Amino acid sequence: MVDVSQHKLVPEHTLVDEEAVDEVLQEYNVERTNLPKIKRKDPAVPDEAESGDVVRIVRDSRTTDQAVVYRLVIE
Amino acid sequence: MTEITDDMEAVVEDTQLPRRLKDRVYRTIEDRDDVSVEQADNIARAVEVRYLDTRVDPLDPVGTVSAQSIGEPGTQMTMNTFHYAGVAEIDVTQGLPRLIELVDARKTPDTPMMTVHLEDEYAEDRERAHEVVWSIEASKILALGDVSTNVADMLVQVDLNDDTLMERWPRASNVEEVAEEIAETIEDALGVSTQQVGTVIEFGPDQPSYRRLLQLVEELRDVVFKGIEEVTRVVIRKEKTDDGEEFVLYTEGSAFGDVLAIEGVDASRTTCNNIHEIHRNLGVEAAREAIINETMETLEEQGLDDVNVRHLMLVADIMTNRGTIESIGRHGISGSKESVLARAAFEVTVNHLLDAAIHGEEDDLNGVIENVIVGKPVAIGTGDVDLRMGSFSANTEQPSDD
Repeated sequence: MVDVSQHKLVPEHTLVDEEAVDEVLQEYNVERTNLPKIKRKDPAVPDEAESGDVVRIVRDSRTTDQAVVYRLVIE
Repeated sequence: MTEITDDMEAVVEDTQLPRRLKDRVYRTIEDRDDVSVEQADNIARAVEVRYLDTRVDPLDPVGTVSAQSIGEPGTQMTMNTFHYAGVAEIDVTQGLPRLIELVDARKTPDTPMMTVHLEDEYAEDRERAHEVVWSIEASKILALGDVSTNVADMLVQVDLNDDTLMERWPRASNVEEVAEEIAETIEDALGVSTQQVGTVIEFGPDQPSYRRLLQLVEELRDVVFKGIEEVTRVVIRKEKTDDGEEFVLYTEGSAFGDVLAIEGVDASRTTCNNIHEIHRNLGVEAAREAIINETMETLEEQGLDDVNVRHLMLVADIMTNRGTIESIGRHGISGSKESVLARAAFEVTVNHLLDAAIHGEEDDLNGVIENVIVGKPVAIGTGDVDLRMGSFSANTEQPSDD
């Protein structure tokens, strides 16, 4: 199997620990389920991620240097 | 030329500008002669004012603005479906049909294609690059030799071309070896027993049957002996890179997952124009990037490069929001809106109203469309701001909530 994370279209995905998740949710004033989603079987999701976890995605942004977004792992 | 001093840096870093704009400010200062700290401060402040000015206001209808910003240039796009793309004589759908294809999230594009980058020596040496070409492009029997039918003996005769075989199987030591492999493939695919002498392969139906014989020839034509079935043609091109030149392959037809696994293919730069294949192999985030790239290229190719990326980014964000690719439109985003009236206003009005009636759906009138329909203020911009009157009581001069 090819290492997906090496592809230039794939930004860095990292698992966020629970404490940090709460901070993020507080910062944006949203519920966990309001976050954009990502499937657990998505090739770019870290292997240890489970449904309900949150991944941090650091994209090389076209409009700023780096853009940090969060996705909720589902199914 | 001006040297950036610590004072200047402090001044610029003090602004609310994003990293990219700060860097631009530094570069601008550097390019000019004798900029004082005070002037640098003025520049940074002026940029900051413009930046804050152009940010989206709270409650701004960004979606509507995006829709119009993409829709208006869309009216100027050509309706011509086919057109050879600038790169490598490969037929690619462009213009409006391509844009529609993208936002509709079609399972397969009209003209699937891949851009295959190569690794190390495969990218530099034409011979090695060709090896990769032959493991991608589907080799069918007509490309490998001549097929003839011998009706008298009820036999199909395949006369393989030596040069073609050695070209397409560069790893093989001699033609017999390849011919054997081909004979085996025929046996597996058609369920017949073959006889192979040198580069001539003969086989026929179990019982003499003229119809079966012709059928075998038909079937033989579709058998893929080498390469990937979906890829009908590969074009090889030499392209300039930052440090020299490299060979890049363009394919007609796509099988992204298969190609990534082929030896010699650079799996970090190879792409395809089927956003679903990207999603399947690289995930939603990559699909999001691909949607932005593809829509941007489609617009640029038509000379409509003044559409701001932010609009395309919004479209891509919405399409990938639920972890899969959803189309904009009745079967995707618009069709899964919460409000019955919003859905009914979009397409197939009666069906939506009927279904809603059967299931006893309710509409809370939170969205824009519903409120336009019922004639209430929409929850956008000033329409979403509620004012509450306060009053000053005469003796305390303190505002109260009464």
